[in-house]
Amino acid sequence: MSDYIFETEDLTYKYNSRQEKPSLDNVSIRVKRGVRTAILGANGAGKSTLFYHFNGIFKPGSGTVKYNGSPLDYDRDALTELRKNISVVVQNPDEQIFSATVEEDIAFGPMNCGMERPDVERAIQDSLFKVNMEEYRYRPTIQLSYGQRKRIAFAGALAIRPDVLILDEPTAGLDPQMSQDVIELVDEMVEAGTTVIISTHDVDLAYAWAEEIHVLRHGKLVFSGAPEDFFADLEQVFLTGLTVPHTYSVNFMTQSIKGEPLAPYPRTNSQILCKMRNDGATVGHIRLIPVREGSDMAEEEGAVGIYGSGARRLFASKERVADYHFNAIECCLMEAINGRPSTLYCDEHMMPFVKGRIASLDGFGSHVEVVE
Amino acid sequence: MSEESQMDTLAYSSRMLSWAPLGKLLLVIVVLVVNILTRSMVVPIITLAIGLILMAYSTNFKIPLFIGLAIAEGILILVIGAGLISVTGSDSSPVIWETNILWFKIHMTVDSFNTAWNVFLRSIAGITVMISFATSTPIPHLSQALRQLHMPREVCELIVLIYRYGFLLLERMESMWNAAHCRMGFNGFTNKIKTAAAIAVGIFTSSSNLADKAQIALSCRNYQGVFPVYNAPPKVGVKWVVLVIAIGVIIYYIGINTLGVVNMAEIFFGKDVVG
Repeated sequence: MSDYIFETEDLTYKYNSRQEKPSLDNVSIRVKRGVRTAILGANGAGKSTLFYHFNGIFKPGSGTVKYNGSPLDYDRDALTELRKNISVVVQNPDEQIFSATVEEDIAFGPMNCGMERPDVERAIQDSLFKVNMEEYRYRPTIQLSYGQRKRIAFAGALAIRPDVLILDEPTAGLDPQMSQDVIELVDEMVEAGTTVIISTHDVDLAYAWAEEIHVLRHGKLVFSGAPEDFFADLEQVFLTGLTVPHTYSVNFMTQSIKGEPLAPYPRTNSQILCKMRNDGATVGHIRLIPVREGSDMAEEEGAVGIYGSGARRLFASKERVADYHFNAIECCLMEAINGRPSTLYCDEHMMPFVKGRIASLDGFGSHVEVVE
Repeated sequence: MSEESQMDTLAYSSRMLSWAPLGKLLLVIVVLVVNILTRSMVVPIITLAIGLILMAYSTNFKIPLFIGLAIAEGILILVIGAGLISVTGSDSSPVIWETNILWFKIHMTVDSFNTAWNVFLRSIAGITVMISFATSTPIPHLSQALRQLHMPREVCELIVLIYRYGFLLLERMESMWNAAHCRMGFNGFTNKIKTAAAIAVGIFTSSSNLADKAQIALSCRNYQGVFPVYNAPPKVGVKWVVLVIAIGVIIYYIGINTLGVVNMAEIFFGKDVVG
């Protein structure tokens, strides 16, 4: 199997023949399997157009698109097979929700894919659980708020259990808490083995989340690689209509003042703080409590955070409110950096990811201990 | 919540939601047809009673204000219409009341008065029966009923799509309307017309954009040309058919055997005046 989930070679596309400049101009891009990937670009850069080539909605004017190493087949049956594996969540949920009730809309994709009824039922339950919308199952979709519709659009995409999840501006129009919620959900998907690609012009989100970015400008691919390398080239950043992420700027300024090298590049506030301390000391600890089916509350210390849909469900069942309901990993890390203990309830399958986030502080000169 | 979606909310919270939509549709059609097949005044009264009972059961009479106002407006128009019918009688039949207005001679006769009441009651009865159906049957359920009647698949799919996108376009129109107000687009009559026209054009353009994007989103979700239904409403069974036929026959039978039993002219003006 190819290392790349998607590859395009000299992909060129025009919406109509009268168009002078193509919407995609000789784009050759490689998206690695299982790698958190963000496509960056200003409005009209060609991000959505590129996405619609990945699932065969648009056929290239010239060039090729490969999925799993094989060129796309545009035959109807082949496209149906392809779209069983690739879910796209468009920016505006109103364009994606077709059915009258939440349940019907989530069942829409799985039923189109020919899933059996018990599987559809399971898919509805699972995806509603993941987006924390179980009590809305029988609600008419027109009665939902924008944020709720966005979650339902998300649930509809998850319901087909895709190998690849493509999200077009996933946090656009969402309040900060819900944006965090979406990113947590995306992380869960990645940990479960789904390749997630997001398109965004939110540079802070892309910088904090993505392992690899691809940048488009006027339909041309201008950069592929690690986010730090792109944001180091300020001229290119401004030419593409983007700005430098806040975290990158703070690191740039503080290191310049101190006359020290920029690397390693912190992506989060906790990493910046550790880099500022840089004393190699163990600053504090986080008690990690894995949550699995049938788990109960455990011994806690300090502020309590929850991470993952299972942890949320556990707290909801106990009618408990956590101190850190959103962005809990980062909040617990901040507690530890301040020398205060904290407890993080975390879904068992997300433990390696959380431990990785905690261990990442070692690279910035501070150590946070994990207590299990 | 917008006024447009209140009707939908009402339908989804109706106690009659789980009834077979085709059964409800057949019941309404049969009752309405029988309502106009007989001349007896008793039939529209029975139909009105059925409509009111169904409405009460379906909605508990928790009818949104704008629907209530629409019904009130309908009743007002019917009162005016019935009033006009009642005063356009022929002087060949017994006259209850007559007068001259300018060069018109107006007669209210027994027949015209009874006809006016008949028309009024039939219309009101029809409205209540149809509202009981509308407040208990969401459009997608109606589409299911039409599928069972073997309506072309395309028509049923279109109904669902229009229903879905109708609300979105109405929402869009409301936003544009409010934005126009903020920019004083409704100051003065000419300005008002211009703004309304601009909004109409904007909505038309939006609808085609929305259609383009919906086409892409449908393909993304593997749309195969048919909207699948996960939880189909119950199908109409023999019980429903028997019930509907029985109700139709009973009302019709009552109708042909109660002709002239209720005489509104007699009730309002007494036997002496009517003769």
